[in-house]
Amino acid sequence: MKPKVAFFDFAGCEGDELQVANLEEELLTLLEQVEIVSFREVMKEHSDNYDIAFIEGSCTRLQDEDRLKEIRKNAKIVVAIGACATIGGINSLKNYQDLDDVRRTVYGDKAKLFDTYAARPIDAVIPVDAYVHGCPINREEFLHVVKSLLLGKKPDIPNYPVCVECKKNENICAFERGEFCVGPVTRAGCNSCCVNEGTKCWGCRGLVDNPNENSQKEILIKYGLTVDDAIKKFRLYFGWQERKR
Amino acid sequence: MRIILKEDFEKFVNSLIKDESLSVIGVKSKGNKFAFGHLDSASELRLDYDVTILPPKKYFFPQRETLVTYNVANGFAAKDSSDLKPTVILGVHPYDIVALLHMDEIFRETKSDPYYFEKRKASIIIGVNIQNMSERCFAPQMGCAIIDHGYDLMLTDLGNRYAINIGSQKGEQLLDKYAKNVTDALARDVQMVGQKKQEIMNMSQLKFNFPTELIPEMLNKTYDQSGFWEKHSEKCLACGSCVLVCPTCYCFDVKDDPHLSLEHGERVRTWDGCLLEDFAKIASGENFRPTRPTRYRHRYFKKGKYLFDRFGFVSCVGCGRCSSNCLPDIANPVNLFNDMYSEVLNMGVVIDAPAEPEVNIKSEGDINYVPKLATIINKVPMTANEMLFEIKLDDGSTLNQVPGQFIQVSVFGVGEAPISVSSSPTKKGAFQLCVRKIGNVTTRLHMLNVGDKVGIRGPFGHGFDTEFLKGKDLLFVAGGLGIAPLRSLFNYVLDNRADYGRVTLLYGCKEPRELLFGDEMVALEKRDDVEYKPTVDWCPENELWTGNIGVITTLIPQVNFDPESTYAIVVGPPIMYKFVIADLKKRNVPDDHIILSLERRMKCGVGKCGHCQINQIYVCRDGPVFNYSKIKGVPEAL
Ligand SMILES: Cc1cc2nc3c(=O)[nH]c(=O)nc-3n(C[C@H](O)[C@H](O)[C@H](O)COP(=O)(O)OP(=O)(O)OC[C@H]3O[C@@H](n4cnc5c(N)ncnc54)[C@H](O)[C@@H]3O)c2cc1C
Ligand code: SF4
Ligand code: SF4
Ligand code: SF4
Ligand code: SF4
Ligand code: SF4
Ligand code: FES
Repeated sequence: MKPKVAFFDFAGCEGDELQVANLEEELLTLLEQVEIVSFREVMKEHSDNYDIAFIEGSCTRLQDEDRLKEIRKNAKIVVAIGACATIGGINSLKNYQDLDDVRRTVYGDKAKLFDTYAARPIDAVIPVDAYVHGCPINREEFLHVVKSLLLGKKPDIPNYPVCVECKKNENICAFERGEFCVGPVTRAGCNSCCVNEGTKCWGCRGLVDNPNENSQKEILIKYGLTVDDAIKKFRLYFGWQERKR
Repeated sequence: MRIILKEDFEKFVNSLIKDESLSVIGVKSKGNKFAFGHLDSASELRLDYDVTILPPKKYFFPQRETLVTYNVANGFAAKDSSDLKPTVILGVHPYDIVALLHMDEIFRETKSDPYYFEKRKASIIIGVNIQNMSERCFAPQMGCAIIDHGYDLMLTDLGNRYAINIGSQKGEQLLDKYAKNVTDALARDVQMVGQKKQEIMNMSQLKFNFPTELIPEMLNKTYDQSGFWEKHSEKCLACGSCVLVCPTCYCFDVKDDPHLSLEHGERVRTWDGCLLEDFAKIASGENFRPTRPTRYRHRYFKKGKYLFDRFGFVSCVGCGRCSSNCLPDIANPVNLFNDMYSEVLNMGVVIDAPAEPEVNIKSEGDINYVPKLATIINKVPMTANEMLFEIKLDDGSTLNQVPGQFIQVSVFGVGEAPISVSSSPTKKGAFQLCVRKIGNVTTRLHMLNVGDKVGIRGPFGHGFDTEFLKGKDLLFVAGGLGIAPLRSLFNYVLDNRADYGRVTLLYGCKEPRELLFGDEMVALEKRDDVEYKPTVDWCPENELWTGNIGVITTLIPQVNFDPESTYAIVVGPPIMYKFVIADLKKRNVPDDHIILSLERRMKCGVGKCGHCQINQIYVCRDGPVFNYSKIKGVPEAL
């Protein structure tokens, strides 16, 4: 029997599900291996009978926690997809501001009707078995994770920084182009795609297990960033992880 | 020496490019940097470059390379190399040529790597003498800024013309076939080339404060200066840049990459580096080089000491790439070694003479990365996490292992894992593996059924010396899964019982339910030619246990043996060795009477990938079985 797969979205932009929906040819091959029973992005039907749950978006409200726990109960394997779900993502930026302010900016007068709390990754609420990092996720890696799960193995997600891939791709380092990059502390796996395109790494895949943050900040400052800006660089994506550390 | 005018040289390059049977690579600009790449026209060639981002090793040992393809239906096959073309590489600086010569030695030693050498043999190297030196380059100090061999052709820019040194017949033929208007050099040209080389020798800004021949000895003296290594590596990002860009680094990882259908796929090797955090980490979570200083130190030792001891050369050619790619700027070998020299002076240590390594390079045959297909013919659960597999090679051959050797077991799409052969070679036909489920390959292996296929490479490494042990009293000490490799020797001894003296087996595990080979152990209790003593760390209340309770070392005082005639064979988890050895020493067992088997992360099994390295030793090639007297002084061993 093919494993049943369901997709869920929380606070995110659905950019990751879009990546999956756009797999095209590969999606067809994939459908020979799995059956999709719930996927708002492409179908109306929904079922609570699934083996693998892919969850996009971060948890930003207390009441989302129940829905997440329900998913955890139904699924054998829970996979967080996209930066919002894996590391809290850009949503965590707001954790550094006053939450009431955030509510007012977002919802204006209706602010009182919506409650919100510190944005957090899925694994801050329920145990997560696998991660597809990135903002948005990379299709190759999504497929790698699916293949691994089908083979019964733990997906191979690097615990080394983006610089590794950057070197293999023979890129000119962003710092040498006058840009500021957080690749040295960011988990690789995207094949350093942003640097390949001539920009820099913003850190969307989150920190490696043991980042040398002091050294990274020192480098940012050495190359001309102010201390404040260096910290901001870190918060864009590392907000939740930084607080936890 | 020959001479060619620059306009004729350009025509020469263009005619190489026009020949579709050749692949033509050259140095091109990339932003404000340089990189080797495919040439579409001679005008792209930048022979005035200072240094390329990556060295030309990427053409022989690419960032990602298929080793083996597999198909679940019919097994493993070697990579198809039929589309490999002769490749001309234009503009290689002398230090990168020296680096290739180093790589040749490294990839040839013990067993030679067929994928490296197929590309190396198909290559034609056209070198060029350095015209601009990068500011971090110290090749002159390493004796690698000029070279008189290792190339097919070597160019020197003489203004409106190039002088060409011919290094091989292949080079000469290339010139004859594709170049026009090549003339013999005049005395004046020869003199100019000599002058250029002189200039190159003086180009580098960086200087060592001591003779570089002392590097290996200096390293020797500073290994234990942990403060020194901590200070220098404090800012290390574990980003691996310094090793990934190095022309003489060759560590690699091996992974399976299945197609989405899961029916077929390939096994690839990718660049890896000892500076990366998980490089020496194993499935149980143990990391044998867990800290930045230890990894940082390993790189310098590998370049300056371990490879020197093995091959007789310091494996740094002074290209300066590590140094210019390290963002915190802590990877410059010149700075480090100068600091080390001061450190040595401060320590009051005198290094008077360079070390003389005993180089003894052997190479027998090629590495075979292609596993043999084999079938699981029996599968017996032994505990909740350990399973005994009986496996038969499909081609009918026997494994012919020496007790203590290991094999690499492949599961399609998941990968390879090193597993000791647990049965004695006296058992003919099938062989046995006792596998603990702990990570990807091992868990997947547990899920396979009788009749399913696996891949087998090996046997690898040095096993136990069964001849030497003849007539000796044997004290086997096994901790946990250590019984798996130990059993191959133990059973061998039992099958040749008359050849050996007294036999004692001490076997410990955490609790009774983790005891492996329970039936065989019960049978041992009935024998009077074997003394068997089991122990458990603890016994839960509801379980029955009549043996000893306590860690394995509590058994040692309980047995009688004569340390002079006894050889202790000790296999267990890494943590066990220190304690068991200490207790054996208390009983006056000489160092060379203690034999152990070590476990490290492994990928290749043949002394290449670098993962299993403990200081200068490769566990896969020099072990896993070691005499304690040989590794006692090896700091990373125990
Ligand atoms: C010489 C030797 C003999 C061994 N004999 C046995 C045995 O008889 N029975 C048994 O159950 N185990 C044995 N091991 C340990 C076994 O190799 C690891 O448990 C196994 O590699 C884990 O692989 P995995 O894919 O399941 O784990 P993962 O964590 O998924 O590891 C991925 C890869 O990393 C490498 N790796 C991880 N852990 C180890 C390790 N401990 N040693 C070497 N490479 C590792 C392997 O290439 C492995 O495929 C032995 C190890 C060595 C070095
Ligand atoms: S991770 Fe990025 S792409 Fe995915 S939901 Fe969040 S913001 Fe959107
Ligand atoms: S561009 Fe960023 S990721 Fe790439 S090497 Fe430089 S710092 Fe590292
Ligand atoms: S380079 Fe950085 S920002 Fe870009 S995808 Fe990779 S981790 Fe994300
Ligand atoms: S390049 Fe520098 S920071 Fe990166 S691993 Fe090497 S020494 Fe450490
Ligand atoms: S260690 Fe550094 S300088 Fe030496 S060869 Fe490697 S990259 Fe070049
Ligand atoms: S060097 Fe690759 S396993 Fe030993």
